[in-house]
Amino acid sequence: MPFVKKPQVCSAAINELTLGTGDKATVLGGQNVFNLYAFDAPIANRPKIGIDVSDAPEQPCPGLEAFYAGAGTLAEKAARAAALEHVDFVCIRFDLADPNGANKSVADCVADAKAVADAVDKPIVVAGCKNAEKDAELFAKVSEALQGRNILVLSAKEENYKGIAAGAGLAYGQKVGAESAVDINLAKQLNVLITQMGLQGQNIAMNIGSAAAGYGFEYVASTLERVKAAALTQNDTTLQMPIITPVGVETWGVKESTAPVSDAPEWGDPEERGIDMEVETATACLAYGSDAVILRHPASIETVSQLLAALL
Amino acid sequence: MAAILFEVNGTTVEIAANDGENLLDVARKANVAIDAPCSGNGVCGKCRVRLLEGTLDSPENRHLTREEYEAGWRLACCAKVVGDARIEVPDIASAYRSRMKMADLSSPEEVAIFLNAEKQLADAGMLPGSDLRFLTVRLSEPTVDDAMPDNERLMRAIRAQTGCERVELSFRALQRLAETLRGSGFCIKCVVSARPEILRVLDVLPEDSATPLAGIALDLGTTSLAALRVNLETGAILAKGSGGNGQIRFGADVINRMIESSRPGGRKRLQDAVIVESIRPLIEELCATAGVPQENVYRMVLAGNTTMNHLLLGLFADPIRMEPFVPSFFQTKGLLARDIGLPLHPEAELVLAPNIGSYVGGDITAGTLSSMIWNRPELSLFIDLGTNGELVLGNNEFLMSCACSADPAFEGGDISCGMRATDGAIEACTIDPVTLEPTLTVVGGCAPAGICGSGIIDIIAELFRAGAINGKGKLVREGDRILHDEHGMGSYVLAWQSETGGVKDVAINEVDIDNFIRAKGAIYSATATMLAALDMDASMIERVYVAGGIGSGINMKNAVTIGMFPDIPIGQFSYIGNSSLTGAYAMLLSSLAQEKVEELGSSMTYLELSNVPGYMDAFVAACFLPHTDASLFPSVCV
Repeated sequence: MPFVKKPQVCSAAINELTLGTGDKATVLGGQNVFNLYAFDAPIANRPKIGIDVSDAPEQPCPGLEAFYAGAGTLAEKAARAAALEHVDFVCIRFDLADPNGANKSVADCVADAKAVADAVDKPIVVAGCKNAEKDAELFAKVSEALQGRNILVLSAKEENYKGIAAGAGLAYGQKVGAESAVDINLAKQLNVLITQMGLQGQNIAMNIGSAAAGYGFEYVASTLERVKAAALTQNDTTLQMPIITPVGVETWGVKESTAPVSDAPEWGDPEERGIDMEVETATACLAYGSDAVILRHPASIETVSQLLAALL
Repeated sequence: MAAILFEVNGTTVEIAANDGENLLDVARKANVAIDAPCSGNGVCGKCRVRLLEGTLDSPENRHLTREEYEAGWRLACCAKVVGDARIEVPDIASAYRSRMKMADLSSPEEVAIFLNAEKQLADAGMLPGSDLRFLTVRLSEPTVDDAMPDNERLMRAIRAQTGCERVELSFRALQRLAETLRGSGFCIKCVVSARPEILRVLDVLPEDSATPLAGIALDLGTTSLAALRVNLETGAILAKGSGGNGQIRFGADVINRMIESSRPGGRKRLQDAVIVESIRPLIEELCATAGVPQENVYRMVLAGNTTMNHLLLGLFADPIRMEPFVPSFFQTKGLLARDIGLPLHPEAELVLAPNIGSYVGGDITAGTLSSMIWNRPELSLFIDLGTNGELVLGNNEFLMSCACSADPAFEGGDISCGMRATDGAIEACTIDPVTLEPTLTVVGGCAPAGICGSGIIDIIAELFRAGAINGKGKLVREGDRILHDEHGMGSYVLAWQSETGGVKDVAINEVDIDNFIRAKGAIYSATATMLAALDMDASMIERVYVAGGIGSGINMKNAVTIGMFPDIPIGQFSYIGNSSLTGAYAMLLSSLAQEKVEELGSSMTYLELSNVPGYMDAFVAACFLPHTDASLFPSVCV
């Protein structure tokens, strides 16, 4: 019997979310098939790759030290990162704003963000310091300063979504990331809460949480897959937002990436390991449902983009 | 060593304690009752005591305001002994022991519900039909020629009178036989248990004895007890009573009780707490009200959950909470009340309504009987809202049950201003959607002192309707009655301290709402999981029967609004009161009912939710107002 292809094309589709402006704008989502299932139907927009740039001076490995050598400010680093081939957007991360750390002021962060906006024409994603209160204030002020650039703030959580949805989304028309902790219901609940404030689902991206491969990633995989299945096969409009997953922040902190050679000589070069962890995790996220991943190392970005090019 | 003086309701208890010892433990040793529903984990904030003199090592705590701390208030569970101290234990801390308003069968509504259940049981042929009865027997007086011993003489007479071949005398009957016979001219009143195969004489009374043949039906709840003293011949209720379960100071839920029971001496402590402190005083009170001695109680039927049954009998309960969750027994036979030290008639049988699973016990088998769902063709859901939530789904062809940990929220536990449905409890509430001003209905019509289960449902539903809280139960509007503490936690004030004259405002805070959303989420997700196991959906449920201490004041529409019950027409819901007590009452009066309950227990399917892989997902989905999947609540989400 001849093989008859039965494409799994869904009647529903992931929302298209545009970041940035002009010819450098990038679109997340849009497809009506499962991730990377280009054999079922053409993928509207291929998954996107962002680069993670922190305002903290230290880098996790010599390769990145070298990459950013001579770039003193966040704007200089962002400009260098943005110039990389295959980078669709730049994610600036205000690690130093953490009130339990350096507690950099919101005004200083806003000045940095403005400088980045001047130096970079690719779309900008703004990540905070993970302190809910500080992030809410920071995102509102940065959104105001970068009005018109169509940025994405990453992200609003259950504790601070009100301020962020209002301060970034409703007030300045920026896109809002909704962050939940690897649970399909919590992801959906947060989307409902944000849309109930009047921000349309079309302006929301989801960060449903992540983990480095081997660190409970099966929960991430299952959640990504079920979110996509609910969005596509059940036409669940509260889960049709594209998914953006910060991968680098997870993988560069685990022992496979950080342990010095002296601790585990048989594991080989730490930087190689770090890149491997980043690539493996990002690939798995993309396969299960992420519409964009945020990576740190140029080598990882190169590898993942090659993979996407080969598949799509 | 330090001397600790507890002042409780005007009496003083002194005990020596070691430095560093936990104050709650010291209080328990001294037999001073402090309400500690969370079993001393610093979570519930209920074990407040006041330091009058001396010192305690006790840091400030989020459950206490700065003023309260400065006024000497401490949490007993978070306080360590560092020297001599004089401690006031406030009345609210011993609230569990206090006499409650008769929550069962006190109002006309409750009585009507009870009578209706009784009628339905009678219509089904279940009532009455007790094997216990009086049998008046006239014996021929012994003579020199007829020197048969008294016991054989009695048995011969009974055989002749009833035709029953096997007759047996209890030790008590034998003890009293000679005197009673001779004191009343060889005409006596026997208390007999007449079963088809054997007739047993429990006691012999003078012919003119006027004391009724009495029995006691008891609902042994995790939090509270309710009992009826019944005339077994007529079915008439001679007295009603209720009280708290003294075990509550060892933890509010069954898990904490089981943990306590596994500590050295724990089983004895828990058994004493329920028998000596709770059941015996209740029986005394019932008998005093009815004006008859405890010895005239010839049977006691007790309906309680599996853990309560085990702890009552002093059994090792730990295996119940450990996988694979195996209890010591489902059914018991031949237990006597005296086996556990209850001062009833020495031959009084203690009948326990049978358990079905580790977390579905006799209260549910008895409750299922009185709900009558086993006798009807329509698919019905029976929900018992207690400290644990138990559910039975089915009809006259099949029954499935499961239990979920609802925590004590429905009975006012785990809620900062929570209380049972006693005087002062806010039992119903409406809130103006514009001004957010509340209109309260308070039990007893007095000043509000707290909120009971039905009141919490109303408050959350009304706040949600008014847009004052979001789906997660967080306050999202501002107003005069909405306060935020220094940690940012919001609360909604129902009654100001200045209006009530109490020690603090009556308010509901975001943690309370969160606890309650978990409780309602547990109930809904248990319903959804059972339906899914049967490949059914909520729209197929034709009737919902709600039972439990939440009270007849429960507003079903509000309970649907917050997503606690499935969204089916409100007319299909009914409140059936304390179904466990009603079931125990039926078992007391009828051997048929007793057999029916045993049959229900052995034929019901038990679904262990912790073994269902999708349960956690269903639970998280249900922890939202009304539900994460809005399409399940079309009447709420328009």
